[in-house]
Amino acid sequence: MIDKARASPAATVFVVDDDEVVARSLRWLIESIRLPVVTFATARDFLETYRPEQPGCLVLDVRMLGMSGIELQEILKQRQWGIPVLFITGHGDVQMAVRAIKAGAFDFIEKPFNDQDMLDRIQRALAKDAERRRTDAECIALLRRVESLTQREREVMHLVVDGLPNKLIADQLGLSAKTVEVHRARVMEKMGAHSISDLVKMALKEEQLRSTQ
Amino acid sequence: MIVIWFWGVLGLLLVLLFVALAVVRKRDTRHAEFLALLAKLKESENRLRAIIEAEPECVKLLDAEGRIIEINPAGLALVDACCPEDVLGQSIYDTVAPEHIENYKEQVHRVFSGESVAFEYRVLTLGGREAWHQSHACPLRDANGKIIAYLSVTRDVTVHKQAEDQAQRHQTELARVARMSAIGEMATGIAHELNQPLAAIANFAKGSVRRLQAGNLTHEETHSVLHDIGTQAERAGEVLRHIRDFARKRNSLPRLVHMNALIASAVRLTEHEIRQHGVTIALDLNDSLPAINADPIMVEQMLCNLIRNAVEAMTQAGSTQRRIVIRTHPSDAGGIEVEVSDSGPGMSEEVAQQVFDQFFSTKPEGMGMGLSISRSIIETYGGRLWLETAPGCGASFHFRIPAAQSLKAVA
Repeated sequence: MIDKARASPAATVFVVDDDEVVARSLRWLIESIRLPVVTFATARDFLETYRPEQPGCLVLDVRMLGMSGIELQEILKQRQWGIPVLFITGHGDVQMAVRAIKAGAFDFIEKPFNDQDMLDRIQRALAKDAERRRTDAECIALLRRVESLTQREREVMHLVVDGLPNKLIADQLGLSAKTVEVHRARVMEKMGAHSISDLVKMALKEEQLRSTQ
Repeated sequence: MIVIWFWGVLGLLLVLLFVALAVVRKRDTRHAEFLALLAKLKESENRLRAIIEAEPECVKLLDAEGRIIEINPAGLALVDACCPEDVLGQSIYDTVAPEHIENYKEQVHRVFSGESVAFEYRVLTLGGREAWHQSHACPLRDANGKIIAYLSVTRDVTVHKQAEDQAQRHQTELARVARMSAIGEMATGIAHELNQPLAAIANFAKGSVRRLQAGNLTHEETHSVLHDIGTQAERAGEVLRHIRDFARKRNSLPRLVHMNALIASAVRLTEHEIRQHGVTIALDLNDSLPAINADPIMVEQMLCNLIRNAVEAMTQAGSTQRRIVIRTHPSDAGGIEVEVSDSGPGMSEEVAQQVFDQFFSTKPEGMGMGLSISRSIIETYGGRLWLETAPGCGASFHFRIPAAQSLKAVA
């Protein structure tokens, strides 16, 4: 079963479907498990209204008049809006679904679908969104903490992470062992690291984030 | 032809040479002259030989049994022979593919009967290669006009033949793909049209079950959701009806019918919708129309479709004046012309250009098959369906159908 507690309570299911009745019926189904639903008739309407800070997931029909589901997904990707997209596909749209998944869609479900299956997938998408937001928040906090270090503290941190003892660090930076000791304590405190292995993990993560940015 | 002529002349010259020799023997006085003539003839033969040897296409002589009497270097290359000894005296049929031997024999026979022929055949060369050859052949006659050999000029047409085959295969494949994709597209379109109402019904029903289980489904909600389910079931039924109409087109039963009668019956069939949406309908029917040869049910369906479209266009646009006019008159070409006009919003040029396309619809629940089917119905009867419209000026569908061939019209 899906861990409902992981989905943020404010998370909303955004439904985009040009078929008004289908959109309304999806709302009726999804609201039955007490999830907030917002429906849109076109991809454009959604893009105009949605703000990336809003947690949730997007349920899209691949076949739509005007901007197609695939095109909308492209735009989300360009804007780096990470909201998970759950595609609804019809008969003969398998190729489209494959394209969507390759382009980074979260999941797809084929019409006609089982309601439990659909609701499970929505829960999973919401959980993924919550998870993503949490790691994003963690990453930002980590970067902020690194930024709060002074130049000297950063140097000390990198050498500590490289596994050098205080004495060698002191020699390399032309400081006294006592000063290195102080810097090292400040680094651990500012980074909120409980142990050296903690600090190593943070430093690696930070390096990874910087290289992907 | 030049070759035959050349060989003819050569034969003639040879005869002349013998005559000349005989004369020389008798008349020594003219010996020198004849020697000169002989040299000239020899030179002439050499020149002819050189030309044939240098000829880029295969030149050969066959006897009546198909044995090779003579062949030039180009001919040797054509069958992958190294030297004349490989083929001289051999039967040409040794290289002809089995399925073409009979025809080849027939052509040789015809040439020996005095005809000129041209034909193509498949060969298996001495080198084991497969090729297509094309031969032009004619009889070679001696000085007395007796046919002494089959003379042919042959070229390799393998590349040309392959290109032809490929073009043919390509054409067949294209036709198949076009058929398949039309069917596939239609199946996908139908599936989508059916899936929409079915998905909605399932969502409404399952959502209701969950609400019932949680004990929070009000009486009003129940009423409204059941209404939605019913409407969507009807919508699915409508899609199926469209498909049935479409399928019916395949079993048409044309007979002599009067257009005015069909219009009257189409109006009767759509009367309910016309009245329900406050539309008035005016008929301006010419009563000296010739009969047409058509399936009355199909034409009626097409007319109903045009009327329904007009009603829907005016209703959707909220037109205050809702009027349909159906007019008939004889067309210039001796057929009939029908016009179905409405006082609706009309269409932009862009929309007008697409209305006859399959799966194009301006209606939210439209399948986009109606006008495309209507057009193919009219075209089945050798007629034409077109649209005259402009934004704000209503839409006017016109079609023409030729008169039935028989002059006798049904009552």
